[in-house]
Amino acid sequence: MNWIELIIKIIIWPPLWQLIVLGLIVPLVVVIGILWFERKTAARVQRRFGPLHVSPQLGGALQLIADLMRYAFQEVIIPKTVDKGVFLLAPLTALVLSIVPLVAVPFTSVARWWPIPMDYSVLISLALSTVSAIFIVLASWASNNKFSIIGGMRESYMITAYEIAIIISILSTAAMTLSYNFVDVVNAQEGWKWFAVLNPLAFLAAFIGVLMATSGFPFEIPESENEVVAGPYTEYSGLLYGVNMGAAYIKRFVYSVLITLAFFGGWLPYHPGTGFLSGYLYPSIIVVVKATILMAIFSFLRAVYGRYRLDQALDFAWKILFPLALFGLGLGILEAYLGLI
Amino acid sequence: MSARISGISGKVGFNDLKQLPGFWTRKLGKDLYEVFIGPQHPGSGHMRIIIRVDGDVIVEADPDMGYVHRTMEKLGEGREWIKGIPLYERMAIHDACNVTLPYVEAVEKLLGIEPPLRAKYLRVLLCEINRIAAFLYGFGIFGVFVGHSTMYMWPFGDREVWVELADWLTGARLTHSYPIFGGVRRDAPEGFTDSLRKAIRYMRKRLEEYRKIYVDNPVIRARLEDVGVIPRNLAIELGITGPNLRASGVEYDVRYNAPYEVYDELDFEIPVFQEGDSLARVWQRVEEIKQSLHILEQVADWLDKHKGEQIMHDRFWKTAPPLYKKVFQETGRVKLVPVFALLKVPKGKAYARAETARGEISYYVESNGANKPYRVRIVSASARNAIVFKYILPGHRVMDLPTIYGSIDYFPPEGDR
Repeated sequence: MNWIELIIKIIIWPPLWQLIVLGLIVPLVVVIGILWFERKTAARVQRRFGPLHVSPQLGGALQLIADLMRYAFQEVIIPKTVDKGVFLLAPLTALVLSIVPLVAVPFTSVARWWPIPMDYSVLISLALSTVSAIFIVLASWASNNKFSIIGGMRESYMITAYEIAIIISILSTAAMTLSYNFVDVVNAQEGWKWFAVLNPLAFLAAFIGVLMATSGFPFEIPESENEVVAGPYTEYSGLLYGVNMGAAYIKRFVYSVLITLAFFGGWLPYHPGTGFLSGYLYPSIIVVVKATILMAIFSFLRAVYGRYRLDQALDFAWKILFPLALFGLGLGILEAYLGLI
Repeated sequence: MSARISGISGKVGFNDLKQLPGFWTRKLGKDLYEVFIGPQHPGSGHMRIIIRVDGDVIVEADPDMGYVHRTMEKLGEGREWIKGIPLYERMAIHDACNVTLPYVEAVEKLLGIEPPLRAKYLRVLLCEINRIAAFLYGFGIFGVFVGHSTMYMWPFGDREVWVELADWLTGARLTHSYPIFGGVRRDAPEGFTDSLRKAIRYMRKRLEEYRKIYVDNPVIRARLEDVGVIPRNLAIELGITGPNLRASGVEYDVRYNAPYEVYDELDFEIPVFQEGDSLARVWQRVEEIKQSLHILEQVADWLDKHKGEQIMHDRFWKTAPPLYKKVFQETGRVKLVPVFALLKVPKGKAYARAETARGEISYYVESNGANKPYRVRIVSASARNAIVFKYILPGHRVMDLPTIYGSIDYFPPEGDR
């Protein structure tokens, strides 16, 4: 084995591949595409051109890269009044923790290409996906700014509201397949029996829950510009602000991957082989493409809706979304009992 | 209490803060959180609203205006009469004709002249174009305040139609300086009324689309309904004015109650809503745009029937050099007659008022016979509306602040003068 083979082996080692390539590089590319799509569609609805100045031949697609470079080279201002250690660490921790759930989900049915054993992957990935939000609240508290703290409080209210709906509705797929293994969940959707069709209630609850979790319209409440400037991120500037934004988009990507696996048949209808290309790369691409389409739908809603008030959103979450998720769970159990799966 | 001041703790001690220039403290009630919204805040205009919140509910609100005060009344005393017009329209540049018209009328009263009828119609024409443009501007700001980005972009795009029309009529997009003593500065160009009718048809269609995506949007309705209710008696007590007053059920519009220019010859209605909440204020403005479009149609018809009539009072027009008259005959355009630079207004006092997009504006003008005003006192609509924040914000949630602020359509430069 020479050193080139060794490097390739390290790169395609599943834990590293899923953390770095699928967790960092792919979301970056996807987010660039999605943000461009979001801005272009919103511009079309609003009868504007949207980004045009950077790379006019590509329709301004490189605008986000220009913005990223600006963020990267901007001065990071750390105000005197912040709790410096937490202020610096919180966004970085949130970024890393928002990627981590990707290591606990399968992108293929071949056991060789799993980062960890997948027996309880539904539970583990859901549990890991809830951790990063705490650090957003922490960042807001460390900022020691009134708008940050109000934003952080709103974020924490929203966490309690959306998390339970997402978890219950995705767990309903575990109930349908009588397994906590994501591979079983995906394989049960063989033959276009996507759970989004079989259990639309749970899918709807998960979809709206993710919309709330990622501050999508009409639930863009913690960062609502006209009341709390930038919410928890008010005091952040330069690269740290970029990291915060990146963490938010990676979170949206991770949730989209979870929904894809749970409700849209993951890598199906493709059947993975054993090699790296057929067994790992192709199914990963299929999952990412499905997740990207889902993200595009999330993004489009901004052109249509305003934002709900915080109490209205919480009202909605507890009185409609939570029962909806429970009904989804019930429907899943009923279908499993009747043997429809 | 010291630890709670401004929420600042940690390394910077309270005693350090007290030494900072301009820093002062105030005792807060138990569990109250004081938030300064503005003057540099994406959700405030050029003003500050100090709110004290208990949890998520505002218990006290203090509108703190004056950040764009430009001493207009004092500046006006040092300028010739005609220079007052471009000065006072800086109060609300997108509503320029409406805010300067009463000044022109008051000076005309002192001079004892009456502008020709065509000039009056042209003034009304620009006033209504300005009114629509100002309402659309307010819609755009309101749209982005409740997070509706489409409603931010659409009215600003459609406002361009009216701004371009005003540009064509007067030569300036915003600060038109169109009405002058004894008439107007220019006649309507050839083909103007046809474009105006086209714009009216377009605007009617667009208002329907606004209703679909914004006013009847369930999310927006949930945000606006029963939020920021100004009861009828409170509206009268606080002396608020304009569409906000009419949305609270008071039938009061200067165009109707004390008609100026040719408003008494035109057929239009004063829409009134009883609810007094933010949604009613949006509907009020939509209905007022419809009435303005109706007025514009009549004005366009009248202008077509009376082409080529005089647009300036004889007293000034007869002093114009022959070249001016020749150019006017050929193009309908004319420079300011030189006599205005030396104009002396007879001694006396005059008062005039008009309905701007944001409410009633009134001018008290006093002359001591010199070529500059002795005193010009302005009470603008926004200045009268600002007080409302203090009384209707308490009891609402923090997220209702931009909703109410946007629905009042408060314009700080107009309020601060």
